[in-house]
Amino acid sequence: MLSALRHLHPQTLRVIALALVLVLTVVFFTTQIDNYFSPRMLSRIATSAAVVLPIAIGQAIVVMTRNIDLSVGSLVGVVAYVCGDFLASHQGMHPMVFIIFCLIVGGCCGTINGLLVAYGRVPSIIVTLGTLALYRTFLVEYSDARTITTSSLPQWLVEFPSATLFSIGPFEFRSTVALAVLAAVVAWLALTRLRAARQFYAVGSNPDAAVFAGINSARVVFWAFVISGVLAGLSGFIFLAKFGNITVVAGMGYELKSVAAVVVGGVNIFGGSGSIVGVVLGTVLVDTIDNSLIRWAVVSEFWREALLGILIMLAVVADTLMARSFGRLKGGSL
Amino acid sequence: MKQPAVISSKDEVTAFNVAPVLGAMILNWSIMTSPLLELRNISKSFAMTAALTDMSFSVEPAEIHAIVGENGAGKSTLIKIMTGVYQPDAGTVVCNGNPVTIPNTQVAQKLGIGAIFQEPMVFPDLDVAENIFISHRNKGVLMDWKRLHSEADALVQQLGISLDVRRPASGLTLAEQQTVEIARALSLDVKVLIMDEPTASLSAHEVDKLLTIARTLKSRGVAVLYISHRLDEIFKIADRVTVLRDGKHISTKPIAEVSREGLVKDMVGRNIDAFATKKKANAVGERILSVRNFGKAGVFSGVHFDVHAGEILCFAGLVGARRTDVGLALFGVAPSTEGTIEIQGKAITVKTPRDGMAHRIAYVSEDRRKLGLALPMSIFSNITLASLKAFLNRFGLIDRSREKTIAEDYRQQLGIRSPDVFIEAGKLSGGNQQKVMLAKWLETKPRILIFDEPTRGVDVGAKAEVHNIIRQLAKDGVAIIVISSDLPEVLALADRILVMREGRQMGIFAIEESSQENIMALATGQHELKVA
Repeated sequence: MLSALRHLHPQTLRVIALALVLVLTVVFFTTQIDNYFSPRMLSRIATSAAVVLPIAIGQAIVVMTRNIDLSVGSLVGVVAYVCGDFLASHQGMHPMVFIIFCLIVGGCCGTINGLLVAYGRVPSIIVTLGTLALYRTFLVEYSDARTITTSSLPQWLVEFPSATLFSIGPFEFRSTVALAVLAAVVAWLALTRLRAARQFYAVGSNPDAAVFAGINSARVVFWAFVISGVLAGLSGFIFLAKFGNITVVAGMGYELKSVAAVVVGGVNIFGGSGSIVGVVLGTVLVDTIDNSLIRWAVVSEFWREALLGILIMLAVVADTLMARSFGRLKGGSL
Repeated sequence: MKQPAVISSKDEVTAFNVAPVLGAMILNWSIMTSPLLELRNISKSFAMTAALTDMSFSVEPAEIHAIVGENGAGKSTLIKIMTGVYQPDAGTVVCNGNPVTIPNTQVAQKLGIGAIFQEPMVFPDLDVAENIFISHRNKGVLMDWKRLHSEADALVQQLGISLDVRRPASGLTLAEQQTVEIARALSLDVKVLIMDEPTASLSAHEVDKLLTIARTLKSRGVAVLYISHRLDEIFKIADRVTVLRDGKHISTKPIAEVSREGLVKDMVGRNIDAFATKKKANAVGERILSVRNFGKAGVFSGVHFDVHAGEILCFAGLVGARRTDVGLALFGVAPSTEGTIEIQGKAITVKTPRDGMAHRIAYVSEDRRKLGLALPMSIFSNITLASLKAFLNRFGLIDRSREKTIAEDYRQQLGIRSPDVFIEAGKLSGGNQQKVMLAKWLETKPRILIFDEPTRGVDVGAKAEVHNIIRQLAKDGVAIIVISSDLPEVLALADRILVMREGRQMGIFAIEESSQENIMALATGQHELKVA
């Protein structure tokens, strides 16, 4: 058994372990909650995870470069609100154009983060903590205490989340889920197949070596933040479509969710490694637990945040332990 | 551009007799082998200190050109100017006859200048093949993994080594990581490859392999700039040798024209005797440490030795012989799982470095950056770090002035080259960082002192100083263990030598009975012998 594990890449092992935990979680809640394992519940988890998945992917790319983007929650709120507001007054806008508009707004905010981190040389945790507050305050000012309501939005957007692309048996594959999965597939293909995208791994893996390999680290980090912003734009769109009623607190706390999904998904918090498959599983796991706890009578709903925190810590501890035992297996000292 | 000159000289060959023919041949030859890279009157200073002054030298194709000099002589600055990390304040860099500016490493790569360093610059999370081709940007937008792996395989084979290019770089040994870097440079069509202290942490066997690779590169027309403190290697491999001292060019000579003594003299500006082998063991005191059946599951086992007061016991062996693990186990960083440790006849257990320090064991690590020093902290705070308790005044606050006095004492005593003790440890050269680390542990007043590769990457001058300090400590009655891969060092320091191989103790013998040959024989497992 051990010798078989030796040949597996640690990342692969991580994904297998994660899938197992996911299955165990579902089995556990099935025994606890009546009528749990139903198409309706699965669909609920899927649509809820679809909002988080794009920002989790963006977060993963940022974390791979040894940075963090704490502003994604506020960004989702800004995009959902500002773009929703814009659409309400421009009802005739083509859906495709509107989605691209959301991505651009997100990308612009991400560009600000990227410029400050990569070229202003301010640590990302400070920059994005600042923009987390700034973007939110901007939203509060901009909204003037108004709320965007479903009735002000065009019909196509209201119907968008309930549109079913296709169904497998009783399970319906919703369009919002499709958008998130599409983002994941594109990111996965890019990170494994695109030469330029491999630089995210390189810069996070060994920044000094990246300089000597002729990689422009600043530019790579800059683009990581822009991509994170664009993906937050996508999340913002999905958020708007899903909820319809948008207030100034939209997307609050999503930064924690995205970090949880990324860390649980096996992206090394110290940069350099991680896979999109892991991030997808991490996002689904975090959302499964989140959604199931609402319906689990044993634990108060207020414990959800705490559980998220515990999950992050457990994942990091598991990673550290695993890295250590792998070091031993491979015969490294210390 | 130079073609007309060649043709006209050939015309002369037919027209005149022998002397001009020879002259033309020399002219012809000198044109064909015009320097690949030439530095002309380069100067560079940082703040107030001049790192390089009016430095000139040239690199010819297909030569191995050694650069030697003490730490702080300006070698690193020179490398950084050639690789585009620094810009010279004055002077020109000439590449293939054209003056060039090298604003960054990308441009250096395009000019065919590459470098590998003592601390390998690999990406631990990427696989070997990706590491090799990381700098290629003109190979298409998509990753062709199959081609990547097969091309990497071909490159690695050209270097005459076996390496699975699909493995992540994190599991590779230091020597393997260097090979990856050399392959990377080769893939970029390198013309001048700078090797900065490439063998500082390699075992003798790995050094031979590296030297072979360097010769392979030379035979392919690559100029190798070989920077090393190990004169043995330089005499083995170099065609020419350039000496730097205090940022100035001292000499460039063909290796045949220099002697070891002359080279050292050029480097330090004085005569030193750092290579004398110890003839006879020192008189030793009572038994301080005895270790029996010492082992750690899956790492090492059956280690068995005593160390007496005033004795220097050296651990010899190849890299990977697990000597460091024995040291770490004694100090408690990675505790042992079997066997006993006795200090002055009393059995002790060491499970954490705290235990080790409580028994007055100190461990001077080989990895200054990772385990040794807090680089952003000042010299004095580093020195007092391990013994801070002794610096508390009656209010339980740190007595800063006493800290500084003690640190200042060490600075003078150990000859730490810095204007004062307030400078960041990270700003010092390797040898001086080593001394700061030593001061830190000396301040804990150890009874047993373990040195792990005490002169790794340290120049000859500082090496002799460190050796003298170690000898003085032994004279003062400290029981000393020195782990070293540098055989001349082992022979210069040791009273007794313990040889390890792959986690097993191969033998232990007195200095009078040891030679490079019998140590190597045990370390490489050519034959086994046991002397009590």
